[in-house]
Amino acid sequence: MLKISLAGLRAHKVRMLLTGLAIMLGVGFIAGTFVLTDSMQAGIDEEFAGSAGKVDVAVLPSEGRRLPASTVQTVRSVPGVTEVHAMIRGDAALIGKDGKVYGDLPTVGLSVAQGRLQRYDIVSGRAPGAPDEVVLEERTAERNDYRVGSTVTVVDGEGARHAFTVTGLADFGIDDEVGFRGAVGFTPETAVRITGRPDPVEIDIAGSGDPRELREAVAAALGGDHEVLDGRALGDRLAARAGADTAMIRTGLLLFALVAMLVSALVIYNTFAILVAQRTREMALLRCVGATRRQIFLGVLAESALLGLVASLAGLGLGVALAGGLLALIGDGAGGIPGGDLTLTPPAVAAGLGVGVAVTVAAALPPARSATRVAPVAALRTEREPGSGRFRLGWPRRILAALLGAAGLASAGLGALALEEGQTAMFLVAGGGALVFLAVIAVMPALVRPLSRATGALPARLAGVPGRLAVSNACRAPRRTATTAVALTVGVGLMSLFAVVAAGGRATADAQLAEQFPVDFQLRGQYATGDRPPHPVPAAVVAELRERPEIGEVMELRIHRESAEGGRTEHIGAVTRSALGTMIRPTVEKGSLQDLTPGTVAVQADRARGRDVGDTVTIPTPRGRVELRVVALFSGNTPLPPYVVTEEDFARHFGPRDAEAVYLNAAPGVDPDRALETVERIIAPYPTLKVASTAGLKERFDEAIDTILAVVGGLLGLAVIIALFGIANTLGLSVVERTRESALLRALGVTRVQLRLMLSLEAVIMAVIGAVIGVGLGVVFGWAATESMAPSAVPAVPYAQIAGLVALAVVAGLAASVLPARRAARTSVVESLAYD
Amino acid sequence: MTSTLVSPPAVTAVGVDKVYGTGDAAVHALRGVDVAFAKGAFTAIMGPSGSGKSTLMHCLAGLDTVTAGRITLGDVEITALGDKRLTLLRRERIGFIFQAFNLLPTLTAEQNILLPLELAGRRPDRAWFEQVVDVLGLRDRLGHRPSELSGGQQQRVACARALVTRPEVIFADEPTGNLDSRAGAEVLGFLRTSVRELGQTVVMVTHDPVAASYADRVVFLRDGRIVDELAGPTPDTVLDRLKALGG
Repeated sequence: MLKISLAGLRAHKVRMLLTGLAIMLGVGFIAGTFVLTDSMQAGIDEEFAGSAGKVDVAVLPSEGRRLPASTVQTVRSVPGVTEVHAMIRGDAALIGKDGKVYGDLPTVGLSVAQGRLQRYDIVSGRAPGAPDEVVLEERTAERNDYRVGSTVTVVDGEGARHAFTVTGLADFGIDDEVGFRGAVGFTPETAVRITGRPDPVEIDIAGSGDPRELREAVAAALGGDHEVLDGRALGDRLAARAGADTAMIRTGLLLFALVAMLVSALVIYNTFAILVAQRTREMALLRCVGATRRQIFLGVLAESALLGLVASLAGLGLGVALAGGLLALIGDGAGGIPGGDLTLTPPAVAAGLGVGVAVTVAAALPPARSATRVAPVAALRTEREPGSGRFRLGWPRRILAALLGAAGLASAGLGALALEEGQTAMFLVAGGGALVFLAVIAVMPALVRPLSRATGALPARLAGVPGRLAVSNACRAPRRTATTAVALTVGVGLMSLFAVVAAGGRATADAQLAEQFPVDFQLRGQYATGDRPPHPVPAAVVAELRERPEIGEVMELRIHRESAEGGRTEHIGAVTRSALGTMIRPTVEKGSLQDLTPGTVAVQADRARGRDVGDTVTIPTPRGRVELRVVALFSGNTPLPPYVVTEEDFARHFGPRDAEAVYLNAAPGVDPDRALETVERIIAPYPTLKVASTAGLKERFDEAIDTILAVVGGLLGLAVIIALFGIANTLGLSVVERTRESALLRALGVTRVQLRLMLSLEAVIMAVIGAVIGVGLGVVFGWAATESMAPSAVPAVPYAQIAGLVALAVVAGLAASVLPARRAARTSVVESLAYD
Repeated sequence: MTSTLVSPPAVTAVGVDKVYGTGDAAVHALRGVDVAFAKGAFTAIMGPSGSGKSTLMHCLAGLDTVTAGRITLGDVEITALGDKRLTLLRRERIGFIFQAFNLLPTLTAEQNILLPLELAGRRPDRAWFEQVVDVLGLRDRLGHRPSELSGGQQQRVACARALVTRPEVIFADEPTGNLDSRAGAEVLGFLRTSVRELGQTVVMVTHDPVAASYADRVVFLRDGRIVDELAGPTPDTVLDRLKALGG
C-alpha cells in the first residue's frame, strides 16, 4: 500500500505542492516563532552573563523592600571588598533639541561606575568621570542630535537646570524602560543629586579572593536582610526578568500561528476530500483486486502523513529562515533586543513537525473514512462527476447548527446587552462568536447556492455566458465551495473583528472627548514616574494666558496627593469654577455640580462606597481630617480626580500652589493654530512645560490604533494567504475534473480569454462568499465585543476598511485563479476531447 | 445526389499534412489529403483505427492545426486563422456533435441548446428553435439537466445545439458510439433528415458501416491518405470496401 501512496503523491504533484505549501506556511510560522524567541532568549542570556560576569557579588533589595543608602557603607567595610558601585536609578529629564524636555516621560537617570564594575557598553567616548560629565544613551543622543562634546541640560525633580558635557555614548543593554524613555548616565554622586534618590536599586561588588567566600562575607555583614547573589546568579536573574517578554511574544505569535494552522487544516481536508472523490475509480479498482477497507484507509492516511512530514520539514526550514531574517532586521535596528545566534532547539523541531504532521493526518481522516466506503463495483460503473449533486441539509446537521447558533447568539447577546461590561461579558461574546462560527460551518454548504447567486448576479449580467457558467460551477459542489470559502472566512472575519473593535475604541474616545471634555489644548509639565506630581504650570504663565485675546476659556486643575491609611494615596483636586460644566462635563449620576460650594465635595461615583448625596466624607489633609458634604456623584472619562472641592477650600486645606495642568480653548473665531502658536511662545522659557492640542493627541491615539491593526492584520495575513492556496487548489482540482468540459466549451466557441474569465469569476465568487461571511461575523461580534467592554462604548463600523477587506478578497480570488485558469486555457482541445 | 456536386463545396482540404512529434518520433497522421465536402450533403469519413479520420475531422473543424496544406470553409481559409478568429468561426459557422461529454452538466437542455448563440451574442430565432426541438422530440425535456436524460436524449440535445445556429457545416465525431442501436438509428435518421429536408451539410466520422450507410457519400482513409470513396452507400457495400482496405 505504501508504494501506491507514494505513487498517489507523485501523480498529483502540483495539487500536493499547494497543499504542502499551506502546511509549510503554518509550520513555518510556528517554527519561526520558536526559533525567534529562543534566539532572542539566547542573546539575552549571553548578554547578561557577560555583563554580570564583571560582578563578583551583587546585593539586591528583597521583594517589595528598599536598599537603604547606609547598606553601601556596610558593604564597603566588608574585608576583601575592593570596589563598590551603588546603582542609582531615577528620573533625570533631558532637554531635547527643541528646548523642551525629551519624551512624554522623563529620561532615566543612571549611575555609571568607573573601573571594573562599569557594566555598560560605552560605544564612543568614555564614561563620565567628573560631576559635570554624562554619557547619553545612543538613540537618545541620535534623536536629539547630541554627540560627544555637546553640552546638554538636565532638569532635576525640583525644576532646577543643570548643564553637562557629553563624554560618551552608551548602550545600556536590554532595558525596556531605557528603550522607551531614553537615558542619561552620571557619576554615582551626581546621579543621586539629580534623581533625588539616594537609595541604590542594586549594589555591585568586586573583591579580591574567592567570590564565594566574599558573597558569604557580604551576606553575613548584611544579616540576611537583602538578597546577596554571585555574578552567575545575578546574570540568571536579570536574564529571567528580561525573558518574561520573550515568553509573552512567543505566546502572542503562537496564537496567530494557531489560526494559520486551523486554516491549513481546512485546506488539507478539502484537498484530500476532492482527491478521494476524483480517485473513486482507482480506489474501487484496488478494492476489486483485493485491497481491504483498512488498507485503503491506511493508504490515504499514509499519503497525508508523508505529505505532512515533508511539508513540515520544509516549514521548519522556512521558519529558521524567517526568524533569521527578522533577527537580522532587529539587530540592525539596535532596538535593545539582542540578535543572538540562530537557535533551533529540540522542542522547536518537535512542535513544528508534530503539529504539522498531526494536523495533516487529522484533516485527512474524514476523507480517508469516506474512501473506505467506495464499493468495488464503482470501478465498473461509468464515471459520475465527483462531489456533485444538490446538497441536502440533513436534520442532524440542521439541529446541530440551530443549537450552536442559538447558544452562540444568546451568549453574545447576554455579554453585549444584558451583562455588566467587563471581562466576563467579553468572554461570553468571544465564546458566542466561536459557537456561531461553528454553526456557520455546519450550514455553509446549504448557503453556497444562494450566496453564489447573489455574488454572481453582477458578473453574470456583465460577463454573459462565462459569468453565468462561473456561478453554476461555484454551486455544483457545495461542500467543496463551502470549505474553500470558510478557510478565507477565518482570516477575514478576525481581521474585520479587530477593525470593528478598533473603530469602536476610536469612536468611544472621540465621543467622550467631544462630550465631556471639549478643550482645544492642554498645557502641563512632563509626567513624572512613581507617585510624584509633575512639574506645575507657573502662575505667571496662567496669568499671561488669561490676558491674551486669542485665548478663550482657561481652566486650571490642581491636584493634591495625600497618603491615606493602607498605603493608598488619595487625590483631591479643584478646577476653575466657571469651567465646571462648560469645558469639563463629567456625567453627573446624582446631585448637581452647581451645588459645589465651600464645605462640600463632588465624588467620583465608583469611589463613593455607598455614600449618597447629602452624606459626609472624610478627606485627609496635611492639617488633619476634614469632613465634607457630598453634593454630586460623577463619572466619565475626564481628568478630574476622585474628590473635587472648590478652589477656596483647596487653597485653605492644601495651601496656595500652581496648577498641575491647564486646559485652554482658542477664543471664538480664532484659528486654533494661531492660538497654539501664542501658547508655545508664552511657555518657551519653561522647558518642562508642554502643550498638546486635543486634535494632536487624537491623531497620536489613532496612529497607535492603526499600528496595532497593521500588526494584527499582518499576522492574520498569513491565514488569508493559506486560504488563497485553498482557493487555487480547489479551482485547480476542478479544472482537472472539467478538462473535457473546458474542451467542449472551446470547441463550441468559447475563447481562451472567456474560459479564463469564467474560472477567475468562479474563484472570485468563492472568495467573496468567504469574505462576506467573515465580514458579517466580524462586524456583528466586533459590535458585541465593543458593547461588552465599557458602559459608554460607542460601536462603529469602519466601512472603508470593511470594503477594503472585501476588495482584497476579490483581488485574492483573481490571484488564486491565475494558474488554474492558465492551465485550463492552454490545454489542447483535441487532446482533451480524445476518449480513453 | 450528383446535383450537389455542381455548387461550390462547403469545406475543402488541399494537400493537408499533419505530423505529430519531430525527428524519429514523428508520426504522419495525414499525408497530402485532398478532399471536398459538398454543400447540403451528408458525408461519412471511414477508416480503420489509426487511419487519421479523427485527425482529419479535427483539422477540418479548426480544432487542430495542420502541418502543411490549406483548408477552406466557404470563402475563409481557416488554416490561416489564429486561435481567437478560429474560436469565433467555430462559434458562428460550425456545429459539433461528439461521441460523449457533449453537454455541460450544470446547464439545462434548453440552456445547452442555446449556448453557442448566447456565446455569439445572437438572439435565437424562436420559430427555428421550436421547429428543431419538435423535430427532435425534446419538447418536454427542455428543463432537464443532462444527468436526468438518457444517452439518446443527450445526443439529440447535442444535435439540436448543432442545428440551432444554422451552421455552414456540422461535424459529428462518432455520434452514435455510445448509443444502443435504436437510439443510434434515431440520431442518424435525424441527421439525414436535416440534410435532405433542411439543406444542412454534415460531415461524420464513424467506424460503423450501418451508420455510414445513412450518408450520401463515404470517404475512406488509410494511413493518413484518402484511398477510396463510395456514393450512395449501403451497409454491405461499405463493409466490402472496408474489407478490401484490410480494416
